[in-house]
Amino acid sequence: MRRFSKVVTVELKLISRDFLTLFFALAFPVMILLLFGTMYGNEPSEFNDGFGAVDASVPGYICMIIAVTGIMTLPLTLAQYRDRKILKRFMITPVKPMEILLSQLAANTITTFAGMILLLICAKIVFNLHFFGNVLQAIAAFILILLSIFSIGLFIASVSKNAKAATAIAYIIYFPMLFLSGATMPLQMMPESLISISKIIPLTYGVELMKGIWLGSSIADYTTQVLVLGGILLLFATLSVKLFKWE
Amino acid sequence: MNVIEVVDLKKQYKSVLAVDNISFTVEEGCIFGMLGPNGAGKSTTIECIIGLKKRNGGSVNILGLDPSVDYERLYNQIGVQLQETSYQDKIKVYELCDLFMTMYKTPTDYVKLLKRFGLADKVKSYVSELSGGQRQKIAIILALISNPKVIFLDELTTGLDPGARHDMWQCVKELQQEGRTVFMTTHYMEEAEYLCDKICIIHEGKIIAMDDVDGVIESADIDTELIFETNDDVESLLGKIDNVNRVEKCNGSVSAYFKDEEAIGDIILSFKQNNVKYKKLNIIRPNLEDVYLKLTGKEWKEAE
Repeated sequence: MRRFSKVVTVELKLISRDFLTLFFALAFPVMILLLFGTMYGNEPSEFNDGFGAVDASVPGYICMIIAVTGIMTLPLTLAQYRDRKILKRFMITPVKPMEILLSQLAANTITTFAGMILLLICAKIVFNLHFFGNVLQAIAAFILILLSIFSIGLFIASVSKNAKAATAIAYIIYFPMLFLSGATMPLQMMPESLISISKIIPLTYGVELMKGIWLGSSIADYTTQVLVLGGILLLFATLSVKLFKWE
Repeated sequence: MNVIEVVDLKKQYKSVLAVDNISFTVEEGCIFGMLGPNGAGKSTTIECIIGLKKRNGGSVNILGLDPSVDYERLYNQIGVQLQETSYQDKIKVYELCDLFMTMYKTPTDYVKLLKRFGLADKVKSYVSELSGGQRQKIAIILALISNPKVIFLDELTTGLDPGARHDMWQCVKELQQEGRTVFMTTHYMEEAEYLCDKICIIHEGKIIAMDDVDGVIESADIDTELIFETNDDVESLLGKIDNVNRVEKCNGSVSAYFKDEEAIGDIILSFKQNNVKYKKLNIIRPNLEDVYLKLTGKEWKEAE
């Protein structure tokens, strides 16, 4: 356990020196919050079914942070470690390869959490953020979305030949996810065609689930979303285990 | 006592037999060098021995352990420098060393190792900012953190400048003086001649020569060359000397080839008796490089 926490600590240090991750996981969500928060405020509005714009948007922003660490940082780091034979080097130590993988997941989970806490603090201070749901259910949803999106990240790391390919795939998946899942822009302002596209984006289900619970619904009202996310997790985790190459 | 025993090791990549039934043993405390052209199977052999790659046949035994079964125990007792490893972006020297220290059961203190290799002042530097030679020292330090009995070095000095290379040689000698066994691969003949107690030359996955350096040179059966400059006609004189196999002449410089060094005395004596004037006389004995080129056959095939 001491060994595992050491590996995670080093990974976190490295993440803290990586400008791109820091920017997209910590700064960018706060910037989006400030931008849209200033534009729409947090007064209850009809557009948001009687909720404030910030209260209705923050759950999506949380999902956006999960996508950054899960779709970008996680696969890029793993692909880079494989390219540079760092994974291979670790394999000839007494550490089990799975520990290295898990430490990556842990470090990115902690980064996601840090990004979320920063976002919530800013939203509370600047826009007086409200939470209407059940904390335990929100945590459960957070974990499910996180695992599901991270499994996609692992899959990207598994199928990409090198770091360059991983970067390309990650960008291709990440940016549509960012704009078409409802994570940054509410889906209700989009035309039918875009909404139907959003249905094939995994994160959409995460945003719906998180937003629903945040605004007071029960997780039981979102069985479709839970099933889709669980299915994604099962599918991509299995594929990753089968396809992942250490060198 | 043998610390490494390899019997009939075989590794197949799809249609290519990368390692073709090779067997060898490495004695405790010796430096064993594996030489061979690129793609001969050196790295594959190392990686099969340490269990990074699955072998397709044969048996491997390091310190009494089979790497494909007992790898966790084995990795606590061996150190490895892999070819072309680089490290994480923006990781500092002490972080990397510290990370490796937590991985082993009975680690050596890396601070001492850094001091010993002259890197104590680099402890807070980014690994990526170190020179090539310094990075290879880090690779050795990481390999030494487990306090290994056997250490594997895969092309340790490839790409280093001559100064850094000689530095690394000193490091390797020290490892041996501490009683560790070293298994290394290299492209540099002088390196093998300087360091290795036993060498094996591998070509297309097969061992084509294995002995100590002198033994390998002897077994390759290459002529010694006596070269000198003269304006006199010496060809007929040299032709009369029994041991001389062949004479070559080129722009006033003459080379006589022979196996038996008795020929040297005979040639000099004959020159004295016949008043032959010569200068710049040199004896060129076959070295490992000649043997290597002969056995791996590249230059010769191309020349034909």
